[in-house]
Amino acid sequence: MIETHGLTRTFGDNTAVDALDLKIRDGEVFGFIGPNGAGKTTTVRMLCCLIAPTAGTAYVHGLDVNRPEEALLIRGKIGLLPEVPGLYESLSAYRNLDFYAQLYDVPKGVRAERIESLLRTLGMWERRDDAVGKFSKGMKQKIAIARALVHEPDYLFLDEPTSGLDPEASLTVRNYLLDLKKEGRTIFLNTHNLDDAARLCDRVGVMRTSLLAIGSPDELAGMFWGHTTVVRMRRVGPGMTEAVGSLPGVTAVRQEGTSLLVDAASPDDANPLIMKVLISMGGEVLSMGELKRGLEDVYLKLLGGKR
Amino acid sequence: MRLDRIWIVAKKDMAEFRTNKYIMYTLVLMPLLMALVLPTIYLTPVTMFSAPSEPYDLGIVSNQTLEGDTIQGGTYLNITFVDCVLEDVIAESCNFEGCELRTSLVRSSQLANSTVFDGAVMRSNVLNVTFNNAVASDLRNMGEDTEQESFLSQFIGFLLLFFILIPAIIPTVIASYSFVGEKLNRSLEPLLATPTTDAELLAGKSLSIFLPTMLVTWLSFIPFVLLVNFLAAPILGYAPLPDLTWLIGVFLLAPLFCIMAIALNVIVSSRVTDVRASQQLGSLVVLPVVAVFIISLSGWFVLGPLTMLLMAGVIALVDIGIAYLTVRTFQREEILIRWK
Repeated sequence: MIETHGLTRTFGDNTAVDALDLKIRDGEVFGFIGPNGAGKTTTVRMLCCLIAPTAGTAYVHGLDVNRPEEALLIRGKIGLLPEVPGLYESLSAYRNLDFYAQLYDVPKGVRAERIESLLRTLGMWERRDDAVGKFSKGMKQKIAIARALVHEPDYLFLDEPTSGLDPEASLTVRNYLLDLKKEGRTIFLNTHNLDDAARLCDRVGVMRTSLLAIGSPDELAGMFWGHTTVVRMRRVGPGMTEAVGSLPGVTAVRQEGTSLLVDAASPDDANPLIMKVLISMGGEVLSMGELKRGLEDVYLKLLGGKR
Repeated sequence: MRLDRIWIVAKKDMAEFRTNKYIMYTLVLMPLLMALVLPTIYLTPVTMFSAPSEPYDLGIVSNQTLEGDTIQGGTYLNITFVDCVLEDVIAESCNFEGCELRTSLVRSSQLANSTVFDGAVMRSNVLNVTFNNAVASDLRNMGEDTEQESFLSQFIGFLLLFFILIPAIIPTVIASYSFVGEKLNRSLEPLLATPTTDAELLAGKSLSIFLPTMLVTWLSFIPFVLLVNFLAAPILGYAPLPDLTWLIGVFLLAPLFCIMAIALNVIVSSRVTDVRASQQLGSLVVLPVVAVFIISLSGWFVLGPLTMLLMAGVIALVDIGIAYLTVRTFQREEILIRWK
């Protein structure tokens, strides 16, 4: 489990992370989204014991990041994929991984086997002896992910894992992260890619210096918009909007073209009544379904952006 | 501190150095230049104009000793003269001690504390002999060094300081790639996220610079000694290297200068973002060595074992101070936030 209590970090007069309270369960994939400079990387660095909090504390696997002797143990339990792969470009892919495996005390007998398994899984085994400097960005990212996993960490911190990758490489990385999710690893994912966050994460935190909202993607949408039913019609006749608005449980109705967008506390109760009223008024209903609000809507709503 | 982790880091860095042609050129060319090319250039002219001075092996077997006599004319072979006055004599394979020779011809003999008026002395060993209007040819000095020999001995001492530039300069090049290179490559962050302590990382990276530097320094000392002895032994009459001064210099002072260079370059690397800027600033570490060189040339002190030990003590203290600053500089938070 990862827990933070009032975790704060300032740089001079600038507060990067302000009183962050988080609880991430074991096996959970947690997404951290927010604009540049929101404090996401600073949070990860504090959780990885790379920089110390100015105030507050955090626990990773029950170990306190503020205690130097526990920080060393935490670093043994985590795998970090920084924003930039930071590989040793003149060394081979295998040598890069072997170096980190040694630093993480992976036993000699297991090392070769694990490196081979990771490289094969990521489709890089044939290139194991090539210098990393010759690799494409996507290939380097795969090696960096393998590096973060070479000691089979309990906690994986990924900072923008698909940033700057072409769609194919991005898909490979995303699929691999889905496999890791299935393995039950606790993953902390910093990302700008809201699509990644929506697909991969159990819960998402929206961050801008402080935590603005937290929940599953659906829960976050529900926080702001409740449930909206979209009724697509051939034509919206006179009085139909008002008639639907007067139904019990309906909180708001608005017309967008030939569709009615109906907010209701319980769509299951309201939708049959809506259908009945519209048909009784001679309306032709083409389809009826729930309006899905994406993370992008949540993000823009919270951070004041516009579509 | 875990020694195995230090060695893992050092091994990785050395593997990287092997692929860096600039580092490899430096490791090969710097000792070649400092230990072979420049000493040859500097020593050759000095030795060319210095006469060999090893005493001749004359094989004198004295059959008779004459003491306090005045000898007029005659030819003498294998005789020892003590406090004699000799005039118009021809002597070969004789010993002269405290004698006065006038218009005489002496060959293949040994003369000590004597005066020669007119006449000639040829192919002989001399010690404290005064020549007045006499011809002296092919003489070898038996006693203390001549002025040329003294200069040559002193010059070899200067070469030591020159030699010590090797372990002071090489770390400047390697450290710039090791620390600034790693910073530019952004590979420090994942490294710092491993369960390795700051001290282990710093020690590992420093060791990876120290080992190849001292290896090439000590390896180049062997041909350097052979070269200096080859050039200077005929003049001095003995092989000047290795002596105690040099042994202290090469095996104590050189590693201390190497440590100083590494530590200073870590500090420099934390403040610059460019390998060449790091090399330029880091190369200032040679200034203390050059300062010692200049002071020594000015004759303020003579390079000897005691001077070298004193110098080593001072450098060791400076090393401790700089190492303390380096440890403070090389902390993960400093590296991630303040290293430019």
